[in-house]
Amino acid sequence: MKKLFSILAIFSLLVIALLPGCTTASGSDPLKPQERLQIATTTSLYDTGLWGYLEPMFEEKYDVEVDVLYAGTGIAIEYGKRGDVDVITVHSKSRELAYVEEGYGVERVPFAYNYFLIVGPESDPAGIKDMTPEDAFKKLLESGAGTFVSRGDDSGTHSKEKAIWAGAGYEYTDVQGAGDWYVEGGKGMGPTLLMASEMEGYTLTDMGTFLSYKGDIDLVPIVDEGSILLNVYSVIAGNPETNSGISAEMAQNMVDFLVSDEIQELIGEYGVEVYGMQLFTPCTGNEPTS
Amino acid sequence: MVKAVGLIVTFDPEVMQVSGRSLAIAATSCSITALICLPLGSLIHFSSFRGKRLLINIVQTLYSIPTVAVGLFVFVLFSRAGPLGGLDIMFTPTVMVIGQIFLVTPVMLGLTISALQGVDKSISETALSLGASRIQAAVLTLKHARYAVLTSVIMGFGRAVSEVGLALMVGGNIKGFTRTLTTAISLESSKGDIELSLALGMILILIALVINLSLNRLQQR
Amino acid sequence: MALIETIDLGQKHGQGYTLKGVNLQVEAGDVLALIGPTGAGKTTLLRLLDLLEKPASGRILFDGIDATTAKKQRLEIRRRMSFVQQKPVVFDMSVFDNVACGLKWRHRESESTKQEVAEVLELVGLADYSRRNAKTLSGGEAQRVAIARALVVKPEVLLLDEPTANLDPVSTTKTEEVLAHIIAERKTTIIMATHDMSQGQYLASKIGVLMNGQLLQAGTPDEIFSSPLSKEVAEFVGVENILSGKITEKDGDLATIEVDGATVQAVSDYTTGDRVYILIRPEDVILTPNRDTTSARNTFKGSIVKTAPVGPLMRIKVDCGFPLLAVVTKRSAQELGLAAGKEVFASFKATAIHTIRKQ
Repeated sequence: MKKLFSILAIFSLLVIALLPGCTTASGSDPLKPQERLQIATTTSLYDTGLWGYLEPMFEEKYDVEVDVLYAGTGIAIEYGKRGDVDVITVHSKSRELAYVEEGYGVERVPFAYNYFLIVGPESDPAGIKDMTPEDAFKKLLESGAGTFVSRGDDSGTHSKEKAIWAGAGYEYTDVQGAGDWYVEGGKGMGPTLLMASEMEGYTLTDMGTFLSYKGDIDLVPIVDEGSILLNVYSVIAGNPETNSGISAEMAQNMVDFLVSDEIQELIGEYGVEVYGMQLFTPCTGNEPTS
Repeated sequence: MVKAVGLIVTFDPEVMQVSGRSLAIAATSCSITALICLPLGSLIHFSSFRGKRLLINIVQTLYSIPTVAVGLFVFVLFSRAGPLGGLDIMFTPTVMVIGQIFLVTPVMLGLTISALQGVDKSISETALSLGASRIQAAVLTLKHARYAVLTSVIMGFGRAVSEVGLALMVGGNIKGFTRTLTTAISLESSKGDIELSLALGMILILIALVINLSLNRLQQR
Repeated sequence: MALIETIDLGQKHGQGYTLKGVNLQVEAGDVLALIGPTGAGKTTLLRLLDLLEKPASGRILFDGIDATTAKKQRLEIRRRMSFVQQKPVVFDMSVFDNVACGLKWRHRESESTKQEVAEVLELVGLADYSRRNAKTLSGGEAQRVAIARALVVKPEVLLLDEPTANLDPVSTTKTEEVLAHIIAERKTTIIMATHDMSQGQYLASKIGVLMNGQLLQAGTPDEIFSSPLSKEVAEFVGVENILSGKITEKDGDLATIEVDGATVQAVSDYTTGDRVYILIRPEDVILTPNRDTTSARNTFKGSIVKTAPVGPLMRIKVDCGFPLLAVVTKRSAQELGLAAGKEVFASFKATAIHTIRKQ
């Protein structure tokens, strides 16, 4: 009996010793209860490494622990509605507007943009290079000559893809049943690119993620012109009146942070040195139209 | 492959932090679950009531409940929009520990009861006849089943440390906070960082190996 | 007031009654042997007395307290008793720890525990076994551990269920010695179930006969063996000469009974016309080679049917027109030249006969 006791005692000591080390980021005082800000982000902002870049800066400036949840626009909005996160950063204008309208968010604040593009294998088996997005999709469906990997996860990118299909005149349900060439991956942006590369297929992606994955995939830009390809990222602070548990003040700090001159400049410069072009264009709270 | 081993051998901080967290969360949840299941198991074993066999059957059926199902249940329960949302613990290690307690309890409870059933009834009867109270007799029976009971705790630990569905759903896989071995593997491998995934996978296998060896040694007793 | 009293105690297991209407009184200091065949209900009675089971009917009073209803006090009362079971159950720990269990559970552990355990182990002859794991002991040694374990708490009441039933003769003797020692030294109240009649006679101050769940008779050994109240009790306690007859004459205390064509004279409480059993203990049957060397009223001529040695004694079956069993020492048998086929005279005193009226 005594032996069992001492084993349990050592065990508990180990646990107590390890736990603080795993719950606080290095450097912060483990005794003071940390304020935490929870952000649900669309996957492209994460897969590009932008959040990894900005997070420590915010944490230092406001002395707060930032928890970034890798989600996907659909899931992020769900978390936001439940009040499980304080801020969401997504890229689906219509849903963002509804979100604010329904009282879950304070205000829709666009802070950066880039463009979507259709990428695919260099051999371009479906022969859709340089077409308009809508025509390219039309050819894909009618010829069935190339594999298309869809996000299939209700994300902002997925919304855009559905918008293009609609623009081409199709019902999305028809597309889903169109054949084996249409693959619904259900993954984040980075993983979807990897999957498309693996399958030698096409996919719709944002420029930022594409550039940051370029070295790992064998895909090239196929269609990159068209007004429908505009991709605007917005940040929305949760509305404390709807969800009382939200850290309203800190959430607002995050919004202010992302549109501040200093950070806007950093966002614009992000990745330029490595990839030779911008991954994101800052838009200082003003939204571009084309 | 070589790089993966390198990450382990040089105690790469990311790898160490994530491994430590997996172990700490599983250890905490299993200790608490043991503190619940040993007395509860004794109570169930030594009582007779209508529906006892049904209860034990249900417990055994829950042994292999899918972790995502438990994850979903815990998420809905502790989400700020849910009934226990006021506790504000979603996406923290705390809710992961709680979730694992739900997950592991059936296993530990069921196996504890089995362990007690393996001890001859005459032990507790003799104890009672010699003046032991019910609790004292139960403790004596547990002592006689100590190896089997320890086995149940270790099996619970094995299930806790290797599950991913629950940890992902309620933990959120937040870097530096709720990322564990299993959630990190699921993230890193889908993002393409194979070296890191391999390193993490090797550690996970190592843990499973240690668990298995301890179980073997215990079963021989 | 009796220390333990049962009032109309009954118990059921499954459909049948294992005990029915048991009324028993045990005074402090009594050494009561419960005797009866297997399945008579001895174990059930002991378990009820140790408050391990709730009776189906009736009450148990311990020191005046109704133990059947007093829920809170059950544990307290039980802790004033100790139980040694028929099959020794030892715990998976050292002999020392096994014995100390009772003290530990009663929160009576102290610096003197070591000594108390040592003393009691010495008493049962296991002083050198203190450190050994109890599971490695033989059946006889395990039973002695069980006894030591029961004794160390100095119980007011010691309950034993056929303590030597599974032991070899040497262990049995040793155990009986220990019990005799405790009886002499400690004045513990003892209730012991046994199917060994001689053990009961040897150790007990009181005997209770249980058969088919009923307490047929309780009293001193003498009362039971000399004056069994019924044919069943008589058969069980080893009265082997049971003959059927009818009283034809009564003169004061003396009755003339006709048995199987012969006439027997016995001291009896019954009256003319009563149908009775006459009981004669084999030890009371005297065998002589000729008629006149006895002064017994009842003398019959017969021939020896069979002789069988039992330990230091000889059992002799004689046919006198009715069967008669006699027991003599081997020496006597030899001296008298008793052998099958030989003609003898069997006689027994009128006072040696016990009569029971037929129901």
